[in-house]
Amino acid sequence: MGNRSEIKKIDTLQSVELGDGVEILLRVAGPFVRSMALIIDYLIIIGILIVLGIVTSFIGFGTNDNIANGIMMISLFLLSWGYFAFFEGGKRSATPGKRSMGIRVIDRSGNAATRGQVFVRNILRYVDMLPGIPTGAAGFFIGGYGVGLTTCLLSKKFQRVGDLVANTVVVYNKPVDHLTASIPPAFKKVAPPVALTREEQAAIVAFRDRAGLWSEARRVELADHALAVTNAQGQLGKTRLLGMAHWLTEGK
Amino acid sequence: MNANQFKAKNAEKWQRYDASMQSLEKGKADYQTDVAEIPKMVRERCVELAMARHRMYGETMCEYLNQQVIRGHKMVARSSSSFLETMVHFLAVGFPQAIRREWKLFVLCWVFFLIPAIGMWVSIYYDLDWVRSILGSDGMAGMDEMYGKGDDNVVENFRGEAGADFMMFSHYIHNNIGIDFQIIAGGALAGVGSLFILLMNGLGIGGSMAYVIEYGDPVKFFTFVSGHASYELTGMVVAGMAGMRIGLGILNPGRMTRSRALLESGKRGLPLIFGAFFLTFIAACVEGFWSAHDFAPNLKYGVGFAGWIAIAGYFIFAGRGQREA
Repeated sequence: MGNRSEIKKIDTLQSVELGDGVEILLRVAGPFVRSMALIIDYLIIIGILIVLGIVTSFIGFGTNDNIANGIMMISLFLLSWGYFAFFEGGKRSATPGKRSMGIRVIDRSGNAATRGQVFVRNILRYVDMLPGIPTGAAGFFIGGYGVGLTTCLLSKKFQRVGDLVANTVVVYNKPVDHLTASIPPAFKKVAPPVALTREEQAAIVAFRDRAGLWSEARRVELADHALAVTNAQGQLGKTRLLGMAHWLTEGK
Repeated sequence: MNANQFKAKNAEKWQRYDASMQSLEKGKADYQTDVAEIPKMVRERCVELAMARHRMYGETMCEYLNQQVIRGHKMVARSSSSFLETMVHFLAVGFPQAIRREWKLFVLCWVFFLIPAIGMWVSIYYDLDWVRSILGSDGMAGMDEMYGKGDDNVVENFRGEAGADFMMFSHYIHNNIGIDFQIIAGGALAGVGSLFILLMNGLGIGGSMAYVIEYGDPVKFFTFVSGHASYELTGMVVAGMAGMRIGLGILNPGRMTRSRALLESGKRGLPLIFGAFFLTFIAACVEGFWSAHDFAPNLKYGVGFAGWIAIAGYFIFAGRGQREA
């Protein structure tokens, strides 16, 4: 696709060239979907803490409180500093929350992020959480993520401070489905009257592929923009344009 | 060849590829998957993607092939080094080398910790107000209770209880390693956060020490802290180094762009982060299971001194002449 630079401007696609010499497009995840994932993760962590609290209080009845307190504190440490790093460093590169939102953490080169990178981005989570970190009394950290959101919006690839230092990005696991719905093919193929550039050809084919999504009036309205090639307005122009799409994809 | 012909021609290959990928993604290669074939298959998808784009086979097919390439790349470009091997090499070579490479930061962070600590100590001989304002009345009461003059040793008595050692070990893990990580993260605020926390710790620790020396029972205090002080303080300083490494990426990017410098400093700071974690973890073990037991003071001082010697020797001699990690 020749108009890559324009795609970059209007889309969240990140193009990465692999060692195999081909470019892949990664779809970078924005702050909204990431905060949803974050909320799910925090709910999971809080759930684990509640269950642990109940279990350890039973242990506390049996002996004295020390073992129970100890287990609780170790768990707080592991959950506040280790939960994200453990899951993101794992095979799926995503916490349960991220998995449920269909996003994952990768290196900016498109490779899987190493454990070290994941570790760094999650230690710096502490800075991204600013402002508003509850102190040791609450034990577990949940912040306002003001710094994270700000840097996310300022950087081109939605990277928070941790991502910038660790060289990671959060991308969608699966591509967003492009809604396509072709309408039945035109009755006859129409050769374009002039030589079309690749972008123009792509636009005409895309028009055909998505025409099923629009009302007839909208199709005609859009086809009117191609007056220069169709040489006709209204219904006739639309039919000619579809004919050209047919000609372009199926051959003469 | 149009899009449909292209699709029909390759449909069988794509199906086979999809099946192999699925079994690999599940983590168990079935008997049909020839693992040696995988890189070849992925490269075929790469070629097809490039071709589909060039021939403009439409967004749907390009998107499909794009996804297949990403999928395959994830499988092929996987790091396979063993975790244990990496850890051993890091501790034997990578960490001490990183400390030597960043010796200037090592000195800087010690200075930022020691000067306020020594300052507090000296100040108590002139004016108690400095220490009083740092410790606060609660802090002073706490120090009196734990290390005050008197025969009963609160620390050792409490540790007699069942499970108390484990609880305190957990507390130190949670608290001290948490502080280390805060120091590191504070580095992202242009290094100010790291230095600030180091400074505050210097004031706090110096103030407590001075207060106990003057108004409490120094033997109780030093027999307790001597065992783990070396690992804990060095761990904190190393955390400060990691924070400053990140902070310097912002402050002093050199000839690189700031974002590039930040990446590089993240890479260079990583061994220091793991190192700080390692040292503070040792400190928590010692503090939890050794420091509070009532061995003879001289034995405890000896172990504390040995700790300092061990760290110094480790940082100076370990991993010399070895290839970098």
